Amino acid sequence: MRPQIILRYAGLVLLFNALFLLISCIISAVKADSAFFPLLYTALISSLFGIFPLIFVPPTTKITNKEGFIIVVLSWILSCLVGVIPYIMWGGEFSFTNAWFESVSGFTTTGSSILTDIEALPLGLLFWRSATHWIGGIGIIIFVLAVLPSMGKPGMILYRAEMSSLAADNFRYRTQKTLQILVVIYVGLTLLETISLLLCGMSIFDAVTHSFATIATGGFSPKNLSVGYYKSAAVEVVIIVFMILSGIHFGILFAALTGKITDLWKSSIVRYYLAALTTGVIAVTLSLHGSQLHSWADALRSAAFQVLSIGTSTGFATTDSSIWPPFAQLVMIFFTLQCACAGSTSGGIKADRIVLFWKAIVKRIKKIQHPAAVIMVKMDTVAVEDDVVEVNILFISFYIGIVFLSGLILTALGVDILSAFSGSAATMGNVGPGFGMVGSMSNFSQIPALGKWVLTATMLLGRLEIFGLIIFFAAKSWR
Amino acid sequence: MGLRLKILSGFLILTMMLAVAGIWSIYELTTMGTSVQRLFDDNYKSINAGKTMIEALEREDSAVLLLLSGKWEQGRSIIESADEVFHKGFAIAQSNVTIPGEPAYVEEIDTRYKRYKDLWVKPIVDTSKQGNLDWYFQEAHQAFQDVKGSVEKLVALNDQTMYQTASDLKNRAHRAIMPGIVAILAALIFTVIFNFLINYYVVSPIISTTKGIQRFMETGELPPIQVETEDELFHLVSSIQRLVAEARTAEAQE
Repeated sequence: MRPQIILRYAGLVLLFNALFLLISCIISAVKADSAFFPLLYTALISSLFGIFPLIFVPPTTKITNKEGFIIVVLSWILSCLVGVIPYIMWGGEFSFTNAWFESVSGFTTTGSSILTDIEALPLGLLFWRSATHWIGGIGIIIFVLAVLPSMGKPGMILYRAEMSSLAADNFRYRTQKTLQILVVIYVGLTLLETISLLLCGMSIFDAVTHSFATIATGGFSPKNLSVGYYKSAAVEVVIIVFMILSGIHFGILFAALTGKITDLWKSSIVRYYLAALTTGVIAVTLSLHGSQLHSWADALRSAAFQVLSIGTSTGFATTDSSIWPPFAQLVMIFFTLQCACAGSTSGGIKADRIVLFWKAIVKRIKKIQHPAAVIMVKMDTVAVEDDVVEVNILFISFYIGIVFLSGLILTALGVDILSAFSGSAATMGNVGPGFGMVGSMSNFSQIPALGKWVLTATMLLGRLEIFGLIIFFAAKSWR
Repeated sequence: MGLRLKILSGFLILTMMLAVAGIWSIYELTTMGTSVQRLFDDNYKSINAGKTMIEALEREDSAVLLLLSGKWEQGRSIIESADEVFHKGFAIAQSNVTIPGEPAYVEEIDTRYKRYKDLWVKPIVDTSKQGNLDWYFQEAHQAFQDVKGSVEKLVALNDQTMYQTASDLKNRAHRAIMPGIVAILAALIFTVIFNFLINYYVVSPIISTTKGIQRFMETGELPPIQVETEDELFHLVSSIQRLVAEARTAEAQE
């Protein structure tokens, strides 16, 4: 492992961050707000740290898988640290813990916030806050579609959970050209949503920041009432469409956009993902109608937005789902755990693993019925190896275990049971809001400082697919 | 890029990080000083003037009661001196209009005070007003309450602005300190990275070159020396390798 190479390429990520810091800084300068210097100084530090290794370390095309993996994970952690600086320099509600929480929440595209008054933030800082989502989203695409698949070798066997029939295709995305295409899709979707939101009457600032948060399935809104502030069905429909798109595997999305639209429906994962969301919306609509909302249209509107927002791990809100009936809340908690498809910017266990999990159960039942039969678990037309199924089950168990442990720590710190467990699930799944005091219209400011650190750890664990972070910190596995 | 420039860039970056943070801290501290002065000039003076006016008004109210009870001389002397004090306070408030919305309050005080003064400037003793408590409660005391209310509104406005300025000062103090803390931490991390890169790209090649030359002198064999960068060290190693090759050729010819 060559630390100098890691420094060089992690430095490039810092330069990318510096670019967005500079844009935020320009916004701050135009609006003459108080975030100008914090943003400028962070941009300066970030660019200096990015440029310096470029001066010393000569470029190389030979980067090993392990180095690539460390570059990505380190870039993530460095980005989170850089993200802290403008917040903490600006002050206000940002203590170091709060700034770290907000920064990690941004870069991991979680969207949980500690801010009680978001609109009190200067525009430059609000832009940076949304930009952290967008930068994190690009990182996820590269990490999941380029770096993770390259780890499917001995010593990295745990990552083979990602090698489902769908994700196995990831190998073909490893070329630089395909990465460029994926980035173009990411940027294209952002532009398309921005234009659509502008047509719905949003200001350019709000349209860009909401697009950043949607495509990255983040959830930071520059408004205290989130998307509910606009009270516009058109805005909600646009955001719903782009939330669904952002939750689909970017490879399939690319195929669909380049003419192979049937690929979308051919994928059993996408079919399940869309069917699950539709079922969720119907179930929550039925639960809300009569108990909370008297009109079917209102119930459908609220249910559709909230379920899709949670089901894609975005985390925007139009209403306070903490006061919904228990049945609706449980449906939402299921989506908080599941989220959308692998290969998207979404977090959570992911639809792929849920499908594989159910197929493994079906296989086991069939095996009990016909002990001598040779039954394979298949994803679409590809047979899935037993160890992949095993790792999948291990991942889901580990995931639930971490949510439980994190919730347990929070309850030990005095947080109520609903807020603790829903908050843990929401941060682990990079969803954003939970229920109780961390509901869709509340924030995480009431969580004790230690609890916030626990939750940021779960955000990173969730974002780096659990094993990623463990392998990164387990030095032995590199030998 | 040459070694000299590479090393210089490291020091320049370090200097830039610290200098920018220092300059900004100085700027914030200077602005803080101005804010403190403004806090004193703009708000504290007006609040003090307001208190003076309220005190004067209360004395005038007591004087009106004395006049009502027929004590003309005592009442007149108190009311005239209080009027003078009120005008002094009002003059300060009038000349210290600095907050949006403040002029309206000052004008309101002026209008209401004139109305109040109109009531007691006319004779009270030996008129139908003497001993007339109804007149006092319905007109004089009511007018007094109105002026006092206006002055209190002016004081509250200045109080609120003073609180905001103080909060702003707290934020400014935070913003003056933070660049320093961030710069120190960044400089520490940067020094570690700088040290690592200098060690890897400068010190290590020099050590391996020295060892290589020593080995050549002992065994006549020059081991391969790796220099990844194309700088002065690369040229030095190339020259040594050429020198060794030429020495070997000369030795072979002899």
